[in-house]
Amino acid sequence: MLKKSWIIFMRDFKVNLRDFLALYLLLIPLLFAFGINLLAPSINDTTINLGMIAGENPDQVAYFSQYAKVDVFSNQEDLDARIQRRDDFFGIVAESGEYYVLKQGNENEGVVDYAKVLLTFYEQDVQIEDTNAEIFDLGRTVPPMKKLLVNAGILFISVLGGMMITFNIVEEKVDRTIRAINLTPISRRGFIAGKSFMGVFFSLYGTIALIFITGFGYVNWLQLLTVVLLASIISILVGFFQGVRNDDVINAAANLKLLFLPLFGAIAGAELLSDKWQILLYWIPFYWAYKGNDAVLTQTASWPQIGLYAGIILAISAVVYFLLASKIREGLE
Amino acid sequence: MKLWHSFLKEMKLSARGFYFYVEILVAVIILVMILFVVPENFRSVEDEYLFYDWPEGVFEEFVLPTLMEDDLDGKIESVEVEGDDILYPAQLIESEGTRYYIFESEEAVLRLTDLDRPKIGAIIRMDEQSQPYYEYYLQGYETQRLRNVYSIFHILDFDLMEAEFESQEVRSLTDGYLELSDRENIVPAMLTFNGSMMGVFIIAAYIFLDKQSGIIKAYAITASSVWQYLMSKVLVVLVSTILSTVIIVVPIMRLQPNYGILFVLLLASGLFSSTLGLVVASFYRNMMQAFGILYFLMIGLMLPAIAYFTPSWNPAWVQWIPTYPLIQAFKETILVNGDIGYVAWVSLGFFIASGILFVFANARYKKTLVS
Repeated sequence: MLKKSWIIFMRDFKVNLRDFLALYLLLIPLLFAFGINLLAPSINDTTINLGMIAGENPDQVAYFSQYAKVDVFSNQEDLDARIQRRDDFFGIVAESGEYYVLKQGNENEGVVDYAKVLLTFYEQDVQIEDTNAEIFDLGRTVPPMKKLLVNAGILFISVLGGMMITFNIVEEKVDRTIRAINLTPISRRGFIAGKSFMGVFFSLYGTIALIFITGFGYVNWLQLLTVVLLASIISILVGFFQGVRNDDVINAAANLKLLFLPLFGAIAGAELLSDKWQILLYWIPFYWAYKGNDAVLTQTASWPQIGLYAGIILAISAVVYFLLASKIREGLE
Repeated sequence: MKLWHSFLKEMKLSARGFYFYVEILVAVIILVMILFVVPENFRSVEDEYLFYDWPEGVFEEFVLPTLMEDDLDGKIESVEVEGDDILYPAQLIESEGTRYYIFESEEAVLRLTDLDRPKIGAIIRMDEQSQPYYEYYLQGYETQRLRNVYSIFHILDFDLMEAEFESQEVRSLTDGYLELSDRENIVPAMLTFNGSMMGVFIIAAYIFLDKQSGIIKAYAITASSVWQYLMSKVLVVLVSTILSTVIIVVPIMRLQPNYGILFVLLLASGLFSSTLGLVVASFYRNMMQAFGILYFLMIGLMLPAIAYFTPSWNPAWVQWIPTYPLIQAFKETILVNGDIGYVAWVSLGFFIASGILFVFANARYKKTLVS
């Protein structure tokens, strides 16, 4: 059976190659990775943005540049215009020798306070040389945002694997080649396995490429692959289900929104929700995969922990499988 | 008239397929999630792990009262934080954005800062003149600017600092601005991606469906012109966009949005995404071929969402991605006293861009429809 499944995989691979798809698929993880490498450093710098009038007080510009991103503007109108753009940006403006903070009006209080604190320090002439603090660090150079993007990238790639399965099956339906399978000696299980290889292959290749290019090559690979492989089971199941249930591309495309929804929800929820709300995400397998990947990427994962997450993902997958299995079988007939 | 007939025909066809219902189902799911799963305000809190290496009683007398001022429930909780199978006792003070864990030993702070990666781990000692002295333990990826801020943060005497801080003047360029709750804040991003931008994908799928089933060739011998055919597809997508938007917006925002301008913006952005989809689809034969480029477009168009949720990260190039002004404009439409002028400009921009894309798509399909 394995050999026949392999033949199906190779055939899919060749067909996809002809459609340039394989090229995209090989490229997507690479582009993800390079994109993340480009994005991550600028996202990490989250100190406040300040603007001042050029030439008015060069010492002040130099002072604030130590603590914030500072832009200088040639006149007040330019500064106002910059503040009125849609991000958080503050002006430090003088009026008869006194400085005040100029804001747009839609910033949240915490950021405004940050600007006020810096202005207070400036007016009280607080200098780094007078510090009463000493800073040590643990030598970790990977910013959390980069880790988040890599983690999200891994999950996206796995979902993409699921989408490929869907479209491969739907295309076969449209071209009316799927029924021909019933005339071949391959069993249904073998056919499903063959079709799934593409998704698994893509998940694995994508993850490995992404991890290496973004500089996470030092992680525990066995743990990472455990999580990634299990997470791709869900993508494959859903991809398959969508493939056999839908007779044309448009329904399949619309249905795939249903796959992205929990993915986004899991990532956003895991990052933004406080602990007491996290329980709302427990039913989403991607949530556990995300947590597992996160632990692996920060190198804090222990095997019992990974085992627990893997077990939960497996259990959810099993439930999904029992719910969908009969429908997949029907769909193939 | 012919356009109207084509549109009605397309609507009937889609009412028969699943797509329309899935679209509505997804909108309902999003609505239910936002209403019942997303808390009204969910800003995450950051942890600070602290140890005061001070003589007995000093911390309780001088620092604790100040920390307690911000505490949410006015009570100190006794908690235990686990690290490497050891339980470290701590007192927890929870303010709106920060959880302060006051530990009983230096070792606890050092060990747990390494394991849990809180925002800050710090040990506060006393120097020879009985003045506080701060040791910060950071992770290593903090920027130099942030480190500089930490270096000077405690130089000023606390009371002086507070008095000076309160006396700082803040002026605002606009007023009457009411902040959205965290829940409401999600709505603009949802509208952009669920409503407007899915059009790219959906219309491409429509076109490929017709290409593969041969309908598109049948069209070539009817009296309808190509632009009517394309426009009827666009209209179907617009109808579903508007439907799913209404499902999400009305129950959450009720009467707050300016619905007039919201629909103008929806129309403009829906037109843009569907004409963009038309142009992309004109270059490919089927979904599999176009899939890669569509996927890329979607990811690229989603980047401004990161900027939207992280206001301090707004590089200039992100602001050039069309979804950036779109999210912001959607936000203005649901705000009280939103900037209607801005929304009008953004809508106008999308209308013009859609016009250009449509003319281009029309020219492409005229040439390639039958080949």
